[in-house]
Amino acid sequence: MMYKIENPYRPIKAEITEVISETPTIKTIRVEPKEPITFETGQFIELTIPGIGEAPFTPSSRPTIKDIMEITIMNVGKVTEKVHELKKGDIVGVRGPFGKGYPINRFKGKEILVVGGGCGFAPIRSLMYEFLDRSGEFKKLFFRGGCKTPQELLYRSEIEDNWAKREDLDIKLTVDKGDSGWKGNVGVVTTILDGVDMDYESGIAIVCGPPVMMKFSTKKLLEMGFKEENIYLSMEKNMSCGIGKCGHCRLGIYYVCKDGPVFSYDKIKNFPNIWD
Amino acid sequence: MQYISSSNFTKFLENLKNDYDVYIPIKKNDQYFYKKYIDFTDDIVISEVRAFEPLKSFFFRAREIVAENFKSDIPQKIQKPYCIVGVKACDLKGLQVQDYVFENHDYQDPFYINVRKNNLIISADCTSTIDTCFCLTLNVKPYPLENFDINLSVVREGFIFEVSSQKGQDLVEKYSFLFEEVKEEFISQRDKQREKVIKAVEENIKENNIPHQDSFKNIIERGYESNIWADEANNCVECGACNTICPTCHCFLLYDQKSENKMARLRIWDSCMIKDFAQVAGGANPRPELWMRLRNRFEKKFDFFPKVADIYACTGCGRCISACPAKIDIRKVLKRLVYDV
Repeated sequence: MMYKIENPYRPIKAEITEVISETPTIKTIRVEPKEPITFETGQFIELTIPGIGEAPFTPSSRPTIKDIMEITIMNVGKVTEKVHELKKGDIVGVRGPFGKGYPINRFKGKEILVVGGGCGFAPIRSLMYEFLDRSGEFKKLFFRGGCKTPQELLYRSEIEDNWAKREDLDIKLTVDKGDSGWKGNVGVVTTILDGVDMDYESGIAIVCGPPVMMKFSTKKLLEMGFKEENIYLSMEKNMSCGIGKCGHCRLGIYYVCKDGPVFSYDKIKNFPNIWD
Repeated sequence: MQYISSSNFTKFLENLKNDYDVYIPIKKNDQYFYKKYIDFTDDIVISEVRAFEPLKSFFFRAREIVAENFKSDIPQKIQKPYCIVGVKACDLKGLQVQDYVFENHDYQDPFYINVRKNNLIISADCTSTIDTCFCLTLNVKPYPLENFDINLSVVREGFIFEVSSQKGQDLVEKYSFLFEEVKEEFISQRDKQREKVIKAVEENIKENNIPHQDSFKNIIERGYESNIWADEANNCVECGACNTICPTCHCFLLYDQKSENKMARLRIWDSCMIKDFAQVAGGANPRPELWMRLRNRFEKKFDFFPKVADIYACTGCGRCISACPAKIDIRKVLKRLVYDV
């Protein structure tokens, strides 16, 4: 397939309309692009901080909302450090969307298990909005999420006040290390995958989180009986140009930026060192 | 096929200057460099052997601005298209890889296409070799057979002038008064010359015992865990010269110029041999060791490109051999992968 783009390296101007502190190291910025930009859940954008540079992020908001986009960002590098200094009214740039998102229509009528870890909750939230908004189209929905401590649990109030109360979603959370107020499970996310009441043979599993969490979750899901082609992973590489030219995010015969970031496990399992 | 005398060829170039920025190789201390053509000076050498710099530098520039201040237009449009004279067959193959990357691999790059689309490539047969030439290994003949507009073969007091595109054909018709029919003796002169250069490249290949590309299938997979990589990368100083000098290497870095009130995004040639090439902001690096990056360089050329584009991304030009301060020799690495694993 061939796509023509006017200037793929040009960011669209966007204004920060709100900054939400999620955890001590994670913020969600709400941006209003000055030109229309739509995305499918799972696709990513490049966020420009003028004069500093850009970095790839998967929006965490509803893809059906066209005028506002939310991006949840952990403070880890030179761009994200500046993101954390942003305030309402600041101008940033947005480029994209890039890559291929989740093939939602392929999941229709199926039982779906979503597994999220840490900062991986961000793209997962966008996906969960899709699932929950269209929950009648899917047979059953399960969410299993884990993070290090209760303080680092992203979107906690939204999850507890909304998701946890829905009858069309079976939800369970875990933390590596609890505190006095934590009533949920303690342990890594793979410890709460057992006993998910669905047919593993035909079910869909979606995993997003740090590489080590995806590695062990995939291993666990395969042991449970999920098929390789039904396990969807969101791969993190150094995506830069977004159109498969700059070479930084190659994974085997693919570029994560244009062929991913979402891949089913069977597509990438034979490449060496996929989790590194 | 036509014949054009040297003096008529000068007239031809003179006319091309109206429509093109003409570049032509000049010889300086045994090296050849492209220089803007003004008039036919003594240092111009159309035949002989490839230029020092790879052809990609005309189209995929070492440094260019790709976005400014959220503006939608493409900065730095060129005035006239390039006409590049004296391009050798190895560099035409390099251009084939660049074309694939920037024009044909799913998305198009407007900056590359903008410079590439209207240009004129006037290639030429090699009439000599350097000891690092091994084009025949990669099925590239030392004389162009495809991917040119016009090809020149030096014969007595002129050139055999062969066209392989509509653009080339149109020029022959437009300047028909400059051309003559090719005499049989010129064709046999050309064939003898070609035969001589083939023999010289074959000698190079034999001397270095370089395996032919027919034996390259799966060499990366087979040798993936081999100690060849660590061994070969031992002296690498991570300078990236092999990447910048390579006619097929296309990786680039996008970076924003630091400025308070203005955003300028540049792209510059990048090198996969440099440590942070694939590193993500969180710190994870799929290739923390130098030998892993050397392996990655070979994987890209001899595994990725044949799988996605049915082409080995090496032209046998030998530039990386001469450029490497650590004497890492692509011929030797390939030889070890084929014979020692």
